[in-house]
Amino acid sequence: MVILGDKNMKKYILNGFVAVALLFAASCKPEIQTPAGSTTGAANFSKYIAIGNSLTAGFADGGLYLEGQKVAYPNLIAEKMLAVGGGSFTSPFFTDAQSNGSGYLSLTALVNGSPTLTPVTNNLAYVDQAGHLAKYTTEVQNLGVPGMRLDLAFAPTFSAANPFLERLLTSAQVGVTSYYQFIQGRNHTFFSLWLGNNDVLGYATNGAVTTDPTNSLTDKATFSTLYSNLVNVLTAGGQKGVVATIPDVTAIPYFNTVTPALLLAKAQAINPAFPAIFIQTGTGSVRVATAADLIRLPFQTAGLFAVPNGSGQYYGLSPQNPIANNWVLDKDEVIKIKDYVTSYNAAIKSLANGKGLAIADTYAYLNQVKLGVKVNGVDINSGFITGGAFSLDGVHLTPRGNAVIANVFINAINSKYGSNISITDVSQYRGVKFPN
Amino acid sequence: MKKILLSFLLSAPIWVFGQGFQVNLQGQKQIGMAGAGSALALDEASVFYNPGAVSMLEKNSISAGVNPLLFKSAFKLTGSSNTEFVKDKIAPPFEFYAVWGPKSNKFKLGLGVYTPFGGLVDWGDNWSGRYSLTSLNLKAIYFQPTLSVKITDAIGIGAGFVYNHGEVDLQKDLPVNFPDGSPSKVQLKGTGKGYGWNAGIYVKTLSKISFGLTYRSKVITKLDNGDANFTVPSSLASSFPAGNHFNAELPLPATITLGVGIPFSPRTTLAFDASLVQWHIYKELAFDYTINTPALSDTHSPRNYRDGASFKIGIQHKATDNFTLRAGAGYAITPVQSGYVTPEAPDANRYILSAGAGYTFGSKFEVNASFLFEDLQSRQQKNIESGLDGTFKTLVYAPGLSLTYKW
Repeated sequence: MVILGDKNMKKYILNGFVAVALLFAASCKPEIQTPAGSTTGAANFSKYIAIGNSLTAGFADGGLYLEGQKVAYPNLIAEKMLAVGGGSFTSPFFTDAQSNGSGYLSLTALVNGSPTLTPVTNNLAYVDQAGHLAKYTTEVQNLGVPGMRLDLAFAPTFSAANPFLERLLTSAQVGVTSYYQFIQGRNHTFFSLWLGNNDVLGYATNGAVTTDPTNSLTDKATFSTLYSNLVNVLTAGGQKGVVATIPDVTAIPYFNTVTPALLLAKAQAINPAFPAIFIQTGTGSVRVATAADLIRLPFQTAGLFAVPNGSGQYYGLSPQNPIANNWVLDKDEVIKIKDYVTSYNAAIKSLANGKGLAIADTYAYLNQVKLGVKVNGVDINSGFITGGAFSLDGVHLTPRGNAVIANVFINAINSKYGSNISITDVSQYRGVKFPN
Repeated sequence: MKKILLSFLLSAPIWVFGQGFQVNLQGQKQIGMAGAGSALALDEASVFYNPGAVSMLEKNSISAGVNPLLFKSAFKLTGSSNTEFVKDKIAPPFEFYAVWGPKSNKFKLGLGVYTPFGGLVDWGDNWSGRYSLTSLNLKAIYFQPTLSVKITDAIGIGAGFVYNHGEVDLQKDLPVNFPDGSPSKVQLKGTGKGYGWNAGIYVKTLSKISFGLTYRSKVITKLDNGDANFTVPSSLASSFPAGNHFNAELPLPATITLGVGIPFSPRTTLAFDASLVQWHIYKELAFDYTINTPALSDTHSPRNYRDGASFKIGIQHKATDNFTLRAGAGYAITPVQSGYVTPEAPDANRYILSAGAGYTFGSKFEVNASFLFEDLQSRQQKNIESGLDGTFKTLVYAPGLSLTYKW
């Protein structure tokens, strides 16, 4: 170390001043480097189409309405694709005048912590008493149809029975064109496919009782074959895409809010002598309910519980007057449903891997949500109303739920194709709206 | 001797300097030298930097200064292409000092009023971390009466009592939505107080190399009966009652500093400070609400700070009899561990650069200016408590000016 003379020191200090001033001018605003610039990777997002059911359509709170349509996960993904070569993304939005679409449930009060759900009945999009909705027959890329099942996607007659598909078809197509045909010929470059939920959900939400084709359980081998047909047409031009697994339908709030323990506590608060909750199982036997038996959410408001029958037996509290089979997924039915979901997902993954498609594992992610996840300072879980992810029907997603699911898709796409679609900022999207 | 000492200092392991909420702006001359100066009897700011050096000051003096501080933070969510910035808000750290003693006597009295800790960040209410924090305005103002005694011409000791007046205003959003979809909000606002002390010893050797050793105690600042204002949908009003209050405690850490001052020439002096900041006492940020409900429990947010330390080197050169130039540099390692970085103090290891100048008007008046620049390294992490996953990057700019009257 040489001790500097005064003159040199002055020069150094002055240079230091200049250096600091330059530094200030150059770097006034902090910058965060992104590892790679924006890239589409091996995919081409210029025309994205989304195939699916109510989740894809943006159905929420028991209905399809404009606010939900706008934040459907495919719409959130498409918005982020814009920066990596994505094009416009059209959806069959209801008009502002008919913004409440099919109508939906609104939380209007909390009475001692119990929700009061009230149907919204103004500004609906119905055009007749038969329940037909205002048509939207110009081209759309969000092809999500509430109620669509994999098996019924191949049934032309279902396009007449399902008002959400009927709405998208010309009069000549109704009852003639199947969903499978409807989604073809759209010159897409990229697709998402999240279909098959209703092939088990319809059965489950009917208490594992089949009364019509919308609540049957699709055969495992049939599922695999039909899914393969669907993937084949979507990849016929060598298109890339992302498929999603089927969530464990027994993990949603619809089956985990009204529990036997809760019902028993409610009954015993009135009369401590009530010994247990009794249910009728799928095999017709009657037994005491356990925590492994799942009761459907609407049971809460069905007005049945603890009502005495003619012989003075209280509903659900007596082996002579048990909760009927259609209100309950008993533990054996739960096992059966889980087994079908596992089988469907094995087929989905195997077909996707065979085609080199990305897999958004919503099954795995929603199982994590059931335990609780923290995203951007928000606790998200499967709790009814308080959990933030599921809307007031206990099945479909809130805007916040759509945002986290959009990120599951985006991460899957990015990791498969080396693209870098930006994730969605979950904090911008709401959970359940609480009344004032 | 000088040569040996210097090479020892440069080869020593780099001490880390705890930052967090620490504001290192307590005297324009020292700021110009990156905050070094505990071993120099520079001016009345020694009340803060080393009470032991106060007794070595030749004149009585009074000074006041301010350092408008611009804390520019950026955040990018992991996986997002969008960078978000804090709003430009200028925090006003200030300092006031007075030193007085009878000319012939061996003691001096001092008073310091300064802001050693604070934070002013406003991320706005539309950013991705809004559920962790929207804004924080934290101030700690220390009042420190001090006594300094010159034991010999070469050794001075001093000590002061510290009273802290603290203010906090923390706001964030709650992920509970109104009918229009907007989120709920909470504001925690209160004032608090704490006590501590400050002591130092200053030694000037025959070779004119000086040493300083100071200790500033921890100051546990207690906020009692602050206001907890919740803005929630009225259906949840019973869960978040109006007129609620909270108690909280913010532990401000003790600091030990060892300094060396080396006069190269009668006009040029080098200062080196190494500090250890005992941030380990900041284990958690807890809010104890007066009224708890099933939806509103007391919160205990882990902070788990480590101790920190710093390495700062500064130089002062008297260009003319009236004009002095200063420059400095430093490096600091954060006390905040990965997983605990929060938007309230998006801390990281930082480089410090500074420059300063002073001019004396006659024998009574002196003006000093400084400029401090801190570059906090970019830091990616996922917060353990909130799950906020992203990269923070911060730059700090603080110009400063002070006026001194001496007699």
